[in-house]
This record gives sequence, C-alpha cells and structure tokens, in this order.
Amino acid sequence: MTLLTIILLACITFASRYLFLHPKLPIRIGAKTTHFLSFSAPAVLTAIWVPIIFIQENSFNASLTNPYLLAATVAIITAYKSHSVYLTLGTSLTVFVLLRLAQI
Amino acid sequence: MSFNTTSLKTMPFNRKQAALKMIQKGVLAMLPLNLAVLPWGILCGSLSIQRGFTVLEAILMPMLVFAGAVQLVVIELINDNTPLATILFTALIISSRHFLYGLALRDKLKNLPFRWRGSLGFLLTDELFALSGDKNAYQGKLKLIYALSAGGSFYLCWLVWNIIGIVAGSYLPDLTSIGLDFAIAVTFIALVIPSITNLAMLVTVVVAGFLSVLFKLFNWELGLVLASLIAMYCGYITANRQAATIAKRNKEII
Repeated sequence: MTLLTIILLACITFASRYLFLHPKLPIRIGAKTTHFLSFSAPAVLTAIWVPIIFIQENSFNASLTNPYLLAATVAIITAYKSHSVYLTLGTSLTVFVLLRLAQI
Repeated sequence: MSFNTTSLKTMPFNRKQAALKMIQKGVLAMLPLNLAVLPWGILCGSLSIQRGFTVLEAILMPMLVFAGAVQLVVIELINDNTPLATILFTALIISSRHFLYGLALRDKLKNLPFRWRGSLGFLLTDELFALSGDKNAYQGKLKLIYALSAGGSFYLCWLVWNIIGIVAGSYLPDLTSIGLDFAIAVTFIALVIPSITNLAMLVTVVVAGFLSVLFKLFNWELGLVLASLIAMYCGYITANRQAATIAKRNKEII
C-alpha cells in the first residue's frame, strides 16, 4: 500500500514540475506574463525562508532572543554586502550554532 | 587547408573540454545548496524509518518522489493512516509552486527534445530553479549541460543524504525539532538578497515574506503559493508603475 502511495506521489511531483514544459500544452506566454513570471524566483524562495525564521513550533517568534532571527539578520547583511553564498552560509551558520549552544 | 584539418581535429576535443568545464561549473554552483540540504535529507531518511517505512520504501521516497517538503509531510500522514486521497491532495498543494517554475521556464525548454525536457523537468526543484534566474539560462547545449549537472548533483546528494538518514535512522534521536531547517533558510537568503536590485524586487520580497508568515500561522498549505502569486503581482505592478512614471517624465521633458 505504501509502495503504491509512493509511486502516485512520484507522479504528482513529476507532473507538477514537467506539466508546463510540455510543448503540446495549448498555452502561449506573452510578454506581460513573462514579466510577471520574472518575479517568481524571489517570491517563492522568500515565501519558503521567511516562515522558517519567524515561526517555530507553530507560533510566531520575533523576539531578539530568537536565534533564527539574529542569524538571519547576519545572513542578510552578509549577502547584501558580499554577494557570496559561501561567506553568507559560513558567518550565519556559525552565529546560529553559537546562539543555540548558548541557549542550552 | 592544413588550418582546416587541425581545427576539425581539435574541435571535438575542445567541445568535450567545454562540456566537462560546464559539468564542473554546474556542480560547483549547486555545491552550497547540496550541503545546505544535508541535515534536511538525513531528517527525511531517518524519519521514514522511525515512522515504520521499510528500507525499500524509504529509499524510493527520495529516489522517485524527490521533494523534501512533500516527503516530510507525507511520511507523517502515512504514519497517521490518512486516506490516500488526502495524502495525494496534500502533496499536490505542496508541489503546486512547481507549476510556476515550469511556466517561468516554459519558453526556454518546451522545444527541446524530450530527453532534456524530461530530465530537467524531473530535476526542477526549488534549488535548481533558484539557479535558473540568469537570462541566458538553458540557452544552448553548454548551458543545458550546466543545468543538468547542477540538478543531477543535487539529486545524487539528496539521495545520499537520505540514505545516511535511513542507515542511521534507528540510532538517531527524533530530529524534527532541533533547528536543522536554518541551513535551507540561509541558502535561500544568500540567493535572494543579491537579486534585490530595484524597487519592484524589494516589494516582491517584502510582500512574499509578510504574507507567507501570515498564511503559515493559519496553517494553510496553499499559503506558500498564494503568498508568492500576490507578491509577484505587487512586484509586477510596481515595475509597471515605475516605467509609466519614467515615460511620463520623459514626455514632459520633450
């Protein structure tokens, strides 16, 4: 039963990714839609990362003792200044781990 | 004549070299993301074992389903004996953001042979899409090789991280609540922040951030996609307004 579920799930995830790449699909994307879609990457990625920072165990946490918030602030500043993925990961993960250790 | 023959002889060699270079570049570009999902992958693998999946089922999840968020949610749902229709519907809602990725890349990929469309479609995760922002992405064979190796390396890593979780699963404590998700958040921060180069992008990011938190607090699975769509629209409107203002100002000057 679980095996069948997994196969059906695989169909769903593949279909969601592949559907609009299929040439026979009768849709045309105009200049306006293309412009609209150019905002999709920052929009979706932000909608993924911001809740991770502010919501822990189903409750909103914007206090200054929230290690996610502090480390994310470090990440935003580093990313803005350096444009380097590695430097951003390095500094903010260090801050995050140190804060978590301090909490325990 | 001699020039021609040498160029013919060196041509395939150069092409092969260029392809190898692109594979290397793709893997390197994806490397931070590959590492960022390590804890996430281990969590998915170990959770499936802890929730009673067989080893085969636990391996097939990353191998075929290949979607972190769907895997995590579905493992819990299957464990709770949720009806199949509910499980599939939930997976569809969580996956619905991928429709946007397909739409955004449609014009670049739809005319390619199926082997490219199918494989890149299968590999089109949040992470690969995050690397697809370049205007010239997917244009020409070398860019396709780049994308395939970036996406392919992510697939392999995801599989390996899950397998580590599966093997270590029964020895690990329940990992669901120790802050492993921060690595993902920070990678996306590193990718999104440098792309904010104008007001429209800033508006998009701020609206997406605000609404996604709001909708998440309602525990609304569709919130991610809805927040993204509204944010995209706000960014789009802002860009158009700005363009209109500039056009008007230019007219006044003339």
